[in-house]
Amino acid sequence: MVVNAVAPPRAAKESRRHRSGARLSPLGFVMALPPILIVLLFVGVPVVSALAFSLGFTGGLNSIVSMIGLNVHKADAWWGTLAAYQEVFSNPQFLADLGVTVLVTVVSALIVLFMAMGIGLYLRMRGGWLANVLSGLAVIPLFIPVVIASWAILTFYSGDGFVRSVFALVGLQGPTWGYTVVAIVIGSVWTSLPFAVLMIASGLQAIPDAMIETARDAGAGFVRIAVSIMMPMAFVPIVIAATFTAIGVIGSFTVPYFTGPNAPTMLGVTLTSYFTSYNQPQQSIVMAFTIFIAAGAIGAFYVWANFRSAKDQGRV
Amino acid sequence: MTTTDDTAAIVAQEPRARLGQSVRMRSSGAFGSVSGKVLIGVFVAFMVIFILGPLLWLAVHAFASSWTFPNLWPNSWTLRWWQTVFSDHALGVAVQNSLVISPLVVLFSAIICLPAAYAFARFDFFARRTFLVGLFATNAFPKMGLFATLASLFYALNLMNTVVGIIIVQILGTIVFMTWIPAAAFAAVPRSLEEAARDAGASRIRVFFSITLRMAMPGILVAAVMSFLAAFDEAQGTYLVRAREYFTMPTEMYTLVLNYPKQVAAVFSILLSIPSVVLMLAARKHIMGGQLAEGFQIR
Repeated sequence: MVVNAVAPPRAAKESRRHRSGARLSPLGFVMALPPILIVLLFVGVPVVSALAFSLGFTGGLNSIVSMIGLNVHKADAWWGTLAAYQEVFSNPQFLADLGVTVLVTVVSALIVLFMAMGIGLYLRMRGGWLANVLSGLAVIPLFIPVVIASWAILTFYSGDGFVRSVFALVGLQGPTWGYTVVAIVIGSVWTSLPFAVLMIASGLQAIPDAMIETARDAGAGFVRIAVSIMMPMAFVPIVIAATFTAIGVIGSFTVPYFTGPNAPTMLGVTLTSYFTSYNQPQQSIVMAFTIFIAAGAIGAFYVWANFRSAKDQGRV
Repeated sequence: MTTTDDTAAIVAQEPRARLGQSVRMRSSGAFGSVSGKVLIGVFVAFMVIFILGPLLWLAVHAFASSWTFPNLWPNSWTLRWWQTVFSDHALGVAVQNSLVISPLVVLFSAIICLPAAYAFARFDFFARRTFLVGLFATNAFPKMGLFATLASLFYALNLMNTVVGIIIVQILGTIVFMTWIPAAAFAAVPRSLEEAARDAGASRIRVFFSITLRMAMPGILVAAVMSFLAAFDEAQGTYLVRAREYFTMPTEMYTLVLNYPKQVAAVFSILLSIPSVVLMLAARKHIMGGQLAEGFQIR
């Protein structure tokens, strides 16, 4: 298995030049509209109306939900009310869940980056069948539906799972990670690894051999080459891998739902139970916006890195 | 990032430099030493257990009749759980729903998104960049947060408990794949080839179908596979639309895990993995070849 970057820079550059040659094509605008309209209708409208609902506006689209839901705070000023936000943010359960969510996101993203960088660097610097086995292994989770992966990981690390069995066979008391935060991190790393490895390996593969060899001739060691040449050259793919992993983990539901503890757990699970089990949609939406804002901040970093690289290459 | 000319110069030098250097490359650096080799060995062993362990452990459960705790192997084997799954009507319906709905989702998603992907690659137009980032926003925002807010709209439009509702929810998860990856693939088709074909007398339509579309096909294929899997795996939204009569395989998996013995869920897991594994193996070359990675860089 060889990870390789396609799309030669020449082709990308040429197509860009052509694109700017035909400035502001109305046909292109019309062709691009359908997915934009779908996203506007089924993501944009719900988000705006949810924001209004979380501020206590219960009319219009929100009338049914506010009639069905329990514990709904209604607007008492022209701009609404922050009562729902106050209630959620003074709830110790929510704060504990928020802490777990941030912790799992940061730890998982760091582990995924570390592993993907290791595999990518080994593949780029050494190559060979062992490197291909490593990258092949790392991509396997892409083949497996997340529901199944979560459940497999739970049984593997549970009280009667493989890890505890191995420990028991040599007479030791092994750790029970099923239904703990550790299992959430393991599950998140497992499911996020393929994308990060593909992204980073493809970025590192695009670095010309000559640059690495020049540095090596000048006496640079493995670590120096990795830090001073490989990482800056593959900066954008690394940022994309990091942000996509973090965004994927911070809003995840399936992995923590299957593998995690009942409380404290990740916000994705908590907001789902507030919506479906406790029937408190307003509180659920407040939690959703908390994740929205965090993901938006991470997403801004992704957009910034992409535009920075576009500027560097003279594409903007 | 290097310019085009630099890359060309480097490519020209490369074979010579490589031949002279290859021996030194292997003897120097941290990975050359014995401790480096041990480190790599340990890491590979860890990866085998970390990635494959849970899957194999689960697969063995599908054939186990009983299992005593510290044993690494079941006490006896059986195919009973497979019979349970195949004779259960609800599970059969879920399989059927999944296999009908997911291809429909990919089809609609392709119809909606592929023209847009071509436009993003080939034309410049008003708000092009805003549109690209806006499509990304559907991917950046956590799905569950989205679905909780989407529910109000679905109530209002009477889409709750309908197949159309499920298809719309699942399409939302495929839009980023279906626009970005094909857009990168269309952008990578050299204009000179299209122009050469035009000069040789081919019509515009002919050029599009025999050159542009054909060369962009691997990217479109990867996008279709990723979309199919996104739709096939989508459980939260489908669950939220609460269409009991339209349960798909992943939603069924949630109820299975809670209500059936471990082994039944293991059997179902194997069945649920088959389409993904087959499709991914088919598209493996292109996914590993960078089509997926290429699609996620804004141009």
